[in-house]
Amino acid sequence: MASNLVGRMRDGAVIRPKRQLAMVFDLNKCLGCHTCAMACKTQWTSGEGMDAMWWTVVNTQPGRGTPRDWEKMGGGFDASGEARSGQLPTREDFGDAWEFNHEEVFQGGKGTSVHLRPRTNPTWGPNWDEDQGGGEYPNAYYFYLPRLCNHCTHPACLEACPRSAIEKREEDGVVLLNEDRCKGYRFCAEACPYKRIYFNATRGISQKCIFCFPRLEKGVAPACARQCPGRLRFVGYRDDPNGPIWKLVDKWKVALPLHAEFGTEPNVFYVPPLAPPRHDAAGRPDRDKPRIPIEYLRSLFGDGVDQALETLRAEMEKRRRGEESELLRTLIVYRWPKDIFPDFPNDPASVEGRSA
Amino acid sequence: MAKTQGAWADAYRSKWTWDKVTWGSHSVDCYPGGCPWRVYTKDGRILREEQSGTFPTIEEGVPDMNPMGCQKGASWSHCHYSPDRVTHPLKRVGERGEGKFEQVSWDVALTEIADGILDAIESDGAASIINLFTPEPGAAPARMFSEALGLPMTDGNAEFQDFSPGWHLTWGLFNPTSSMDDWFLAELTLIWHANPVYTNIHWYHYVAESRYNGGEVVTIAPDYSPSAIHADYHLPVRIGSDAALALSMCKVIIDAGLYQKQFVQEQTDLPLLVRTDTGRFLRGPEVSAGEREDQFYWWDTHSGTLAMAPRHTLATMGVDPALEGRFTVMLVNGTTVEVEPVFARLRRRLEAYEPEKAAEICEVSPENIRTLARKVATRKTKIFVGWNSGKYYHGDLIERAMALLLGLTGNWGKKGTGTRSWAISAMDGEIFIPGKESPGQEAAQRQIAGLIAMRRLLTTSDPTLTLEMIQNRMMALANDMPQGPGLGMPPAFLWYYQYGYKDRWNDPENHDPSYPRSFDEYMNIAIEKGWWDPRFSKVYQNTKPRVLFEAGGNVLRRQRGGQKLLLENLWPKLNLIVSVDYRLTTTGLYSDYVLPAAQHYEKLGHSMPSVHHLNYVLCDRAAAPVGEALPDLEIGFRLLEKIEERAAARGMTEFTDARGQRRPLAGLSDHISHKGALRDEEKRTDESIRDSAVYGVLPKGTTLGTLRDKGFVRWTNWGHVLHGTSQASTIEPDEVHNPLRWHTEDKIPYDTLVRRAQYYIDHEWFLECGEELPSHKEPPKQGGGKRRFQMTSGHNRWSIHSMNMTNDIILNTHRGEPFVFINDKDAKSLGIENGDRVKLVSNVGEARYAAKVSPAVRPSQVIVYNGFEPYMHEGWTSQSDLEPGHVKPLGLAAGYGHLSYRILSWQPIPADRAVRVDVEKVS
Repeated sequence: MASNLVGRMRDGAVIRPKRQLAMVFDLNKCLGCHTCAMACKTQWTSGEGMDAMWWTVVNTQPGRGTPRDWEKMGGGFDASGEARSGQLPTREDFGDAWEFNHEEVFQGGKGTSVHLRPRTNPTWGPNWDEDQGGGEYPNAYYFYLPRLCNHCTHPACLEACPRSAIEKREEDGVVLLNEDRCKGYRFCAEACPYKRIYFNATRGISQKCIFCFPRLEKGVAPACARQCPGRLRFVGYRDDPNGPIWKLVDKWKVALPLHAEFGTEPNVFYVPPLAPPRHDAAGRPDRDKPRIPIEYLRSLFGDGVDQALETLRAEMEKRRRGEESELLRTLIVYRWPKDIFPDFPNDPASVEGRSA
Repeated sequence: MAKTQGAWADAYRSKWTWDKVTWGSHSVDCYPGGCPWRVYTKDGRILREEQSGTFPTIEEGVPDMNPMGCQKGASWSHCHYSPDRVTHPLKRVGERGEGKFEQVSWDVALTEIADGILDAIESDGAASIINLFTPEPGAAPARMFSEALGLPMTDGNAEFQDFSPGWHLTWGLFNPTSSMDDWFLAELTLIWHANPVYTNIHWYHYVAESRYNGGEVVTIAPDYSPSAIHADYHLPVRIGSDAALALSMCKVIIDAGLYQKQFVQEQTDLPLLVRTDTGRFLRGPEVSAGEREDQFYWWDTHSGTLAMAPRHTLATMGVDPALEGRFTVMLVNGTTVEVEPVFARLRRRLEAYEPEKAAEICEVSPENIRTLARKVATRKTKIFVGWNSGKYYHGDLIERAMALLLGLTGNWGKKGTGTRSWAISAMDGEIFIPGKESPGQEAAQRQIAGLIAMRRLLTTSDPTLTLEMIQNRMMALANDMPQGPGLGMPPAFLWYYQYGYKDRWNDPENHDPSYPRSFDEYMNIAIEKGWWDPRFSKVYQNTKPRVLFEAGGNVLRRQRGGQKLLLENLWPKLNLIVSVDYRLTTTGLYSDYVLPAAQHYEKLGHSMPSVHHLNYVLCDRAAAPVGEALPDLEIGFRLLEKIEERAAARGMTEFTDARGQRRPLAGLSDHISHKGALRDEEKRTDESIRDSAVYGVLPKGTTLGTLRDKGFVRWTNWGHVLHGTSQASTIEPDEVHNPLRWHTEDKIPYDTLVRRAQYYIDHEWFLECGEELPSHKEPPKQGGGKRRFQMTSGHNRWSIHSMNMTNDIILNTHRGEPFVFINDKDAKSLGIENGDRVKLVSNVGEARYAAKVSPAVRPSQVIVYNGFEPYMHEGWTSQSDLEPGHVKPLGLAAGYGHLSYRILSWQPIPADRAVRVDVEKVS
């Protein structure tokens, strides 16, 4: 492991993989339903020490997110490429994993004097500020932001690991944490500016999203993407001009990285959220300023967000006039799975799953 | 692809291995979904599930339905092994609700339950055994004894209240709804009284994708709801004032001449003539002797004469029916009366809804009303409505106003239009098994021939009867059949006399103050006039309930009015309470016996037949039931057999059933199982599938074997059970489904009194209450007129009712406890901060919650999404304990065309929205 230098900065340049797998999330289709999170949870994070792990989460924005206030925790690289110091999120910041008093309620014989509840008094969870948002009625605003490991082109975690336990695969750019080499120092979790690395206290190792590599090997899309009922998680190679990723990120430029200023070149991109117009004092649509403050969106998705939203609006307007739009056809996903993850169309039930 | 090496990598590869893959779904009432899943098992245990994602494309140019599913489905396997799972028959040893049970054998439990049922029959009669109809098809077979003994079964549509009275009043149909892929074709979608981002997770993508297809989405809701965030416009309407908004749009459309005149003339009652002296329709016998009472008239502007509106077709037959004007008609007795079309009366009614006036009521700006009205009038418009509107006291008026908006603009019976609501169908093969002479498909063919002959027989009395009318009549006949199955019963009378609602329904704060009569007056008139079968309306004045049987339901969570009311009034009368479930519900904890049912991946069956996708979806056995749990079908047979055994031992050979008929207590299970030939789950399921193919519901050649290959199969026809034909459109193999096309395309009349979409209800009560036409009325101040907040509600994101609410994976994705949304400024004024504990108080109860503070909530609104178990609340009092559980008395109106009891349709239903509460911070 770690025999290659992919993902490391050498002589002022990042060594890039041959190809890069990437995801695009269309936030205008996201329901905040967490099917992605459940898919991941039941697939990978049900083992020992993993109870509080949600490798992929969905949070309501604006909000403090998961882990709590992660955007203020540092990590990543500054503009000159130097590592920024980062904070190590605690299990409580992630929201713990609550245990409930089922036995007391069901078998305790205490009747209505007890009720089912978390044994602790939690003050945070993986989706604590769900649907709260910001603004002022009737012009409140919020949207859903799914997040997972960004499989960055320049992963801060990889550079930070003294054990060289983190590898960026040459053939597809997937970033994997070698759990055999990991000693649980957690420099990676400190360094990751997206705070998507968890600590398994039982096993004394760090763990994170594996981009469902066992599924990729069988031509099956990652569980979070394949199980997303909103059909908003596009998966593919960044450089495929016929694939949805290249079209949305590079051609139409409607999919943008989250917090690009963190300096790691993330490979998850977001189609930013539209929102209904605000109401003026008389209750009429007020188009002078958008419902979601543009400064807020810029703070997340960078300055390209203005143009991305404008492109989306213009194409939607075009379609309302009855004209064709390649962009909207791509976002619609007429034929699932080939339109949404063309390189990983296999039905998991059709692959041989029995272990030898 | 190069493989990442290492033991750790192999460990992940090994995690993604399995021994077996089976098709699975959830045979529950989830909006109704019934998504096809694949269930992965290893070492006899269910590992996980994943949506199959194998739906084909139906209509060219419309996205497919993949990968249909949601987060509840994606973690359902976790519920199989949850701490709330019931694994053995339990018998209560402590007080009810105390949570003290002992494990007993199946034989002990069934013997004591069977004896309890027979005791009740002997002591208080068959009507004292209450079976609650709950909408979980997977659990229904456990209630087999109730069908076999012809016992009363409470009507689900009052029980769980997913009825849209306004649709019934307008179309005489049970929730006509489109398949979900039709949403993609709408040019304008009004999300109104619905929150599909929470409740239609598996299908919402069609709404999002319709926007990318050139459609526009407008969400009309008091709060900036999760379904507003993806809309093109959000209209923040005042709670319960939606009818004013809809009617104002109707006024704009009529004034601007934008209404579809031909559609209005042909499909609706708006051209029918009403007497100006009585306000009643001009009827046949008034015009000519011997004419039918249900003959109505219009005025032909071509000939300037009165003409009979044809009963056999919606086509205007060369007539140009007047929509305006007053005309003089000579009656059969020689006198003359003045008449005018309903449309003219409607125009006068709409004078009150000039946008500036309506804006004062609904608090949507006149500009927004006018703009939206013009859009509705010029685009293919769909109202995406849930079951929320019908839960308002005047929800029928709201829905009738919505239907009027669609009717004026020709927006139903074509793709991309209409309403979306909850709709189910049924699998004939399953329903008719007990009625067949013998096993085998030849018997199914004879069965169907019999049904068709019966249909023909019905048409001999009136050749103009349509299929929808015949189906409704056959359903009513089945309920009256002497040896018929369970007796469908509107539960309002039982509730009124035995559950403790009498005082609440008569409380003036829960009753519309504009009504000229008290609730009791309406109740007494309805009973005296014989509008309701005395088997429902009179029996429970004297008969006390003695047995309560709940299979797959949770009445103590569900019942509007709260568990406290039931525990105080109903529970003391009951000698036996049985809950059949795979998990311990609040009802289970208050039961005498809890019988462990198999979970959905542990038994053979199918998902709820859903009009939204039109597929039979197989639920196969992936693993053996845990512990001593049994499939519901097996529980049903064992209980029925035990009842027969105990009856024989007691020398009871027959009894008087709820219809007053003598009925034997032997041979019942043999009849249902065809002497054991169809008792086994495997054989019975295969038989029902093969029969459904004979009945034309499934493609020819469909068997359990073919379904095990493909997992699901698209329906080919509705079959002969009522709710499918309520869709009133033919299922086409390569088209999305949009209802009511039989009416718009084939001009087939509706099953309403006037045989047209009926906006004018000239029932005496509707006239005296001013509700003969759609109108806006304020909801009564139920809960307490002086209280500051109005509580709204709806299905939450995290559970199907309470089914998944105790799944501890899911519990970790919200607050892990019941919560209430409150506006940030309201919270501040009460000193409430995010996460604080608060108490909600109404006149009938209180409940405690964690506060979620958000500017998305409308000031003076609090939102409590439902589904939390009462036992998740302090003191076990929950949202329903805040609700008076009152009903609108006009639901008792009957004896009028389509206003008569129909199973799952017209009947009194409880209102639970806009309950007045106060909010207090608790330390």
